[in-house]
Amino acid sequence: MTTPGLYTQAVLDHYRAPRNFGALAAHTHAADGVNPLCGDTLRMELRCEDGCVVEMRFSGEACAIAKATASMLSELAVDRSAGELAALEQVFISLVGGQIFSHDQLGGLNAMRELANHPVRQKCALLPFATLRAALAGVTSATTEGSK
Amino acid sequence: MNARVEEAPAPLDVARLRADFPLLARRVHDKPLIYFDNANTSQKPLAVIQAVDRFYRETNANVSRAVHTLGEEATSAYEATRDKLARFINAPSREEIVFTSGTTQAINLVAYSYLLPRLQPGDEILVTTMEHHANIVPWQLLGDRAGAKIKVAPITESGELMVDRFIDLLTPSVKLAAVVHVSNVLGTINPVAELARAARKRGIPLLVDGSQALPHMPVDVRAIGCDFYTLTGHKMFGPTGTGALWARKEILRDMPPFFGGGEMIREVRFDGTTYADPPHRFEAGTPNIAGFVGLGAAIDYIEGIGRERIVAWERELLAYATAALESVPGLRIFGTAKNKAAVISFLIEGVHAHDLATLLDHEGIAVRSGHHCAHPLMQFFGVPATARASLAFYNTRDEVDRFVAAIGRVRKLLG
Repeated sequence: MTTPGLYTQAVLDHYRAPRNFGALAAHTHAADGVNPLCGDTLRMELRCEDGCVVEMRFSGEACAIAKATASMLSELAVDRSAGELAALEQVFISLVGGQIFSHDQLGGLNAMRELANHPVRQKCALLPFATLRAALAGVTSATTEGSK
Repeated sequence: MNARVEEAPAPLDVARLRADFPLLARRVHDKPLIYFDNANTSQKPLAVIQAVDRFYRETNANVSRAVHTLGEEATSAYEATRDKLARFINAPSREEIVFTSGTTQAINLVAYSYLLPRLQPGDEILVTTMEHHANIVPWQLLGDRAGAKIKVAPITESGELMVDRFIDLLTPSVKLAAVVHVSNVLGTINPVAELARAARKRGIPLLVDGSQALPHMPVDVRAIGCDFYTLTGHKMFGPTGTGALWARKEILRDMPPFFGGGEMIREVRFDGTTYADPPHRFEAGTPNIAGFVGLGAAIDYIEGIGRERIVAWERELLAYATAALESVPGLRIFGTAKNKAAVISFLIEGVHAHDLATLLDHEGIAVRSGHHCAHPLMQFFGVPATARASLAFYNTRDEVDRFVAAIGRVRKLLG
């Protein structure tokens, strides 16, 4: 099958073998995110020290795009502060919106640039970021549809 | 010629009919389009496109107002669709066809004009688990206003309405029952005539949402015996923004206007306005004139093919597609009613519906994924979303084969 650019080998790899999947017993922050458009749910648990993410794990039922994004994000989030991750989210939003083609800090997430051609699927990739942002802000729930 | 040939409808010449639909010749991602999202909206035959085009080129004027030639031609073209639609659903009178923008508006019209003035705190409205949001939310909004409650008739695991339970729930506190004729998710064809008989016996009006029935089968509102029947033009090969409410004359006569404006009045005075008779009483403002002219062409087109022939072909196609999908390992079909239309909702183990739909799209195949505007039904089956292939008479066995082969490739990639 000729796969759309969205489902790159890297994306498929993170989907099939997600990194940091599961629970984090000693978490300091956690949030449950939902994408009401499709019912996907994602839970993120984080351990933060000195204002930076030390470890992040995620779990939940979601599509390949959401899972692969969460998996890649779980690696990118380490050693970053809430402020840095908020900035990264803005860069990522520009990427999926088609305003930028790539950004060094996004690493494998640059594959999600293809979402510019799949507007309905953009929320799939934004769910992990929204959930992470909520967790870091001490909010226990997040949604891709406005504020909850 | 022998008698048998005369009795059995000739099979459809699908290849020839497909040529009537310009869009079906399109390529998507450099593959021939396979359009399996007909329950969402159907494609339009050239006859409909040309009718709309011709209207704007040759006849365009407002209806029911102008005395000039164009005005009269536009009015008669627009009103001709009312006659066609009345005949198409075997309504006793053309005056019983209220044009709306679609089923959603038709249901809201019944909700606010018919039911709201009759609703008392503690009253109930009966719906079923398999309703589209358009047949749930208007009733909930009314309930919130009037202190009434929604009651839900359950379905079985195979996606069939529990008819006995529906009838048991038709208690004196129920002021209206609303049921879908053909489920947009499961394809289930509900026994609406039986439900209407039970409702009538108890003096409870029954609304039937026929959005998904009209494109697939003959509909006879007299034979059904319901009180309200709603339909949507764009799902039956007509333009978007067209639809209708059918209700018996005596019911419409007692309904107050819902929208106010031009077109729906008899005389406007600041000390009291009087309203037009139905159906125009409910058609305030300039309607989607070209759209309804197109809907008339769609009805002509369907009648030209013959609904019995459409039923026969789609039944064959559904059986073929169902068998093919059942052979896919890990594939679960939602909705296996004995009596169902060519709608197949499904999930594949380990494959998210959205991923499936995106990957199929890259093979030129259009299916819907998501909750299909039926959250309660998704909750019933305990899934967030399904993929749905909904067929029309212009679909072919070859398309089903290519669809199933593509699903196999998606499974290999993601499963």
